Amino acid sequence: MSAISVKVGQLDLKSPLILASGTCNFGHELSEYYDLSVLGGISSKGLTIKPRAGNPGVRVAECRAGMLNSVGLQNPGVDYFIANDLEYMTGLGCRVIVNVAGHSEDDYIAMVTKLAPYKDKIDALEINLSCPNVKSGCMSIGTDPHEIEKITSLLRSLTDIPLWIKLTPNVTDIKSCALAAQKGGADAVVLINTMLGMAVDIRTRRPVLTNNTGGYSGPAIKPVAIRMVSECYQVLSIPIIGCGGIECADDVLEFMIAGASAVEIGTASLVHPACPVDITADLNKYCEDNSIELKDLTGTLQLW
Amino acid sequence: MTQKKEYTCKVVSKEFLTPDTAYIGIDCPEAASSAVPGQFVNISCSKFLKRPFGVASVSDDGKVLYVGIKVVGKGTEELSGIEAGTEISMLAPLGNGFDLESYDSYILVSGGTGVFPVNFTYETLKVSGKKVTVVQGFRNASQVILNDPSFILTTDEGDAGIKGTCIAGLDTIDLNDHPNAAVLCVGPKPMMKATGEWAESHGLKCFVSMEQRMGCGIGICLCCTVKTKADNEDGYYNKRCCKDGPVFDYAEVIW
Repeated sequence: MSAISVKVGQLDLKSPLILASGTCNFGHELSEYYDLSVLGGISSKGLTIKPRAGNPGVRVAECRAGMLNSVGLQNPGVDYFIANDLEYMTGLGCRVIVNVAGHSEDDYIAMVTKLAPYKDKIDALEINLSCPNVKSGCMSIGTDPHEIEKITSLLRSLTDIPLWIKLTPNVTDIKSCALAAQKGGADAVVLINTMLGMAVDIRTRRPVLTNNTGGYSGPAIKPVAIRMVSECYQVLSIPIIGCGGIECADDVLEFMIAGASAVEIGTASLVHPACPVDITADLNKYCEDNSIELKDLTGTLQLW
Repeated sequence: MTQKKEYTCKVVSKEFLTPDTAYIGIDCPEAASSAVPGQFVNISCSKFLKRPFGVASVSDDGKVLYVGIKVVGKGTEELSGIEAGTEISMLAPLGNGFDLESYDSYILVSGGTGVFPVNFTYETLKVSGKKVTVVQGFRNASQVILNDPSFILTTDEGDAGIKGTCIAGLDTIDLNDHPNAAVLCVGPKPMMKATGEWAESHGLKCFVSMEQRMGCGIGICLCCTVKTKADNEDGYYNKRCCKDGPVFDYAEVIW
């Protein structure tokens, strides 16, 4: 046990840092830049029952302090993943989280049924109820607490693998969504996925993204994510994995103080692929300088 | 496998080739010595994402890597204003380069910012001693950069070289002088499409270097896709321009 090891429910992580789904593929590319065993875990690209080509046209629009993407869950499909990438991920030396997406309740059931037999290789299933870039499923399920609870409890009955529900910030009341996941039997919630946004090309008077809208990520959304982690921490009994705009160790500390047990690093990997290495060193130094264990920080925020 | 790195390195030279096209030298021996023609680099600016540029040349001592920066937006405007001595952060080299081994002679076609990666390709092939012919296509004489008198020059407006597109230039080439040739093209999409068609009609293989709006440049965000032919349910597959390319077989791309 090192000073920066944490727990998410029963799951031990050697570090609070997890690579966020959709910003690390299955780990191959970032492994060219650093040894991923430094991480607490890696969350796979969002997977669907069938392979998905993703959205056509322009998929990225840079914004101030972040970017919009409308990739649209391009992925090789769950069967291909199991045959080609799962083994690789289990060899990375960190926790393996598989991100599960779908268009309907049946899709999620079929996905979890397929993945459940691999419980020796998969440390958690991250149920993506929050992708804003597909027409059905995902975010349309994740904005309705009744649907969240229903689907979580259905999936709960299919597997013992820890279920993390990744929620969308595009709701009025994030607490009711997080509570619904908890009631459905989730082991943790991941807060937050991207924020729905749009960028306009003033020359053509058309959206920059061919999908018109996309998910906003990067440092700009960090305050929103921190607020949502804090709000949910006050009402939940299950752990929270914080996600949104993390770029440095101070960002990780902020999330943990606000209530996160672990965090996900997303868009930062696009700009500085090896940033988790520096963040890890800085977190260790923080713990040493302050003679504390990182896990003791979770939820220590004192509200005014 | 060598560990790839994000380099912090210094700009050592800067000149303007045209009023809106800068040419900068970056002191980064590790990246410069391993870069091959067709690869690109990702350079930081004050904006959120890094900006991709094709490698235009490498100094003879293998220490300095050159890129051309054409101003197309705020990021490139800022980078074109960079001065020698400035420190930048760079991911390099990225992507796959051209196959310069499998063919005995090469016909290179370039236009727009494509003249930069084609320049590096030309320099490399020249050293190898293989027969190489270069066609450059520009809008007009004021746009002509990185030209050599041995190149076949074409301009749309006809104020320099042959009047017409690069195809008019290609048509002047004696293919009998080019045994087992491949055509390599980097330029605007219509130029690459037309060049590919020309190559196919002459029974030659053509390879192109595609350009797309990029997020990461290293293959993890899946933003810069190129639609390629595939034998699957969709009939196509979205390859990553940055990681699976930027060099693609012309015949593989869905134009």
